[in-house]
Amino acid sequence: MFGYVEPDKPELKIREFEVFRGYYCSVCRSIGRRYGQVPRLSLSYDLAFLAVLLDATSHEAIQGDIVRCFAHPVRKRLLIRPNRFIEYASDMNIILAYYNLKDKWSDEKNLLGGCGCLALQSAFKKAEKRYQEKTRRIEELLGELNRLEKARCASVDEAAEPFASIMREVFECPHVEDERRRKVLGWLGYNIGRWIYILDAWDDLADDVKSGSYNPILEQYRYDGGDLDAFKASIKDKLDFSLTYSLSECEKAYALLGAEKNTGILDNIIYSGLIVKTDKVLQGRCGNNEKKSI
Amino acid sequence: MKKNPYKVLGVKEGASYDEIKKAYRELVKKYHPDRYRGNPLADLADEKMREINEAYEFLMKNAGGAYQYDYDDSSTSSQGSSYQYQSQQSSQYQQNAQQGYADESELERQARACLNRGDLNGAQRILDRMRNRNANWYYLQGLVFLRRGWYDRAYSNIQRAVNMDPSNFEYRNALNNLNNQSYGYRHNPYYYNNYRSSPDMCQICGTLWCADSCCECMGGDLISCC
Repeated sequence: MFGYVEPDKPELKIREFEVFRGYYCSVCRSIGRRYGQVPRLSLSYDLAFLAVLLDATSHEAIQGDIVRCFAHPVRKRLLIRPNRFIEYASDMNIILAYYNLKDKWSDEKNLLGGCGCLALQSAFKKAEKRYQEKTRRIEELLGELNRLEKARCASVDEAAEPFASIMREVFECPHVEDERRRKVLGWLGYNIGRWIYILDAWDDLADDVKSGSYNPILEQYRYDGGDLDAFKASIKDKLDFSLTYSLSECEKAYALLGAEKNTGILDNIIYSGLIVKTDKVLQGRCGNNEKKSI
Repeated sequence: MKKNPYKVLGVKEGASYDEIKKAYRELVKKYHPDRYRGNPLADLADEKMREINEAYEFLMKNAGGAYQYDYDDSSTSSQGSSYQYQSQQSSQYQQNAQQGYADESELERQARACLNRGDLNGAQRILDRMRNRNANWYYLQGLVFLRRGWYDRAYSNIQRAVNMDPSNFEYRNALNNLNNQSYGYRHNPYYYNNYRSSPDMCQICGTLWCADSCCECMGGDLISCC
């Protein structure tokens, strides 16, 4: 995953930020407990968001402990007690991270990807066993994504479809009992996946021009090898519409979810964090170095 | 089980008439059918809207005694207007749809029916079979893409429909709606009222300096040291 889903930190209350980080730490620990220490490195903010979002569908009170963690040995931190949603987010993280690394290995022969993929192998097998049907669907969709990329698909919408559908699959958590809520989560996931895919394509434009890799934006708007900045400026409004509209659909889905708790954090991400991120990336102020975890 | 109407409207129990009305207005804005048009979750939004209307109606009838007597007339009339508003909306939709049907070919009608059922593949198959790519065809194709989540293509198809037939109210309305949705999201109060919109030190100093210069022009002085 890409780590684009982030809160708008200056607007967040300190308490809310600590709870958000508590979820992040809890997903991280849950990976460590169930899959071993190495896979913990693969966690991104996006899955912490998923844990916060899914947990908001139940009205059980949040329970946490203040503990010390070897990743942050100096200060004790809040850790949310693991529950089915946090464990689900950690399972999905393993599955997504594994496929992401595998993809890097087979596409670019990226050595880091190959090693990471091997390191995650046994964890992936375990997670796959828990969610066989989901993993099968995700694998199918990744095959579709590969096929579109090989064919150099010239439509951003079409190229974004498989990844968006993967996110729909991930967000439709089987532990959420209410079927209507699952549908709402699925639509939220689809649109956030679409947003992530397109935003990432925009972020990668310069690299892809250099390396000649496939990029749906370059294909759809027929980049002719001229000035990249002028090209970006000429299509920015179109991409802005597409991204913002996807987010507005996320917001509509979120409004129907009826979150029972964590509304401070979720409102912040949905109504502000995602817009801030969109603007940062569209204006090109987000280099790859900014995509880091806590 | 019926939900607690206060909870549905998100107000405290025993809230005043004005508070209830304000909360109701906000919720109507949030779950308005216009916002969810062409959205796969439209049925859930409708349901939510019904729930909100029921809660509002109930509270207007049974809200705290004093308010009930004081505001009896206005509350009943406002209730009436909220319901009229709803029914006007839906009849307008039907009218639009019927007007559309009258001069459409059979295939277009079928495609619309598929779309209304949420059968996107069916609608797409019918559209693919149609030879005559008129404004209406582009409009319907745009709606199919919109429902699918392919907003870039949805926009270009609906825009094309508007360009081909600029006088058509329905197409123009759909295009405006697309623009309004993304504008509305970007200008939501959470994002718009936060730290970005409040003045930073630079702006404050600039304003002071400006005010001082203006005063000096007029012969006065705001900040005596400069």
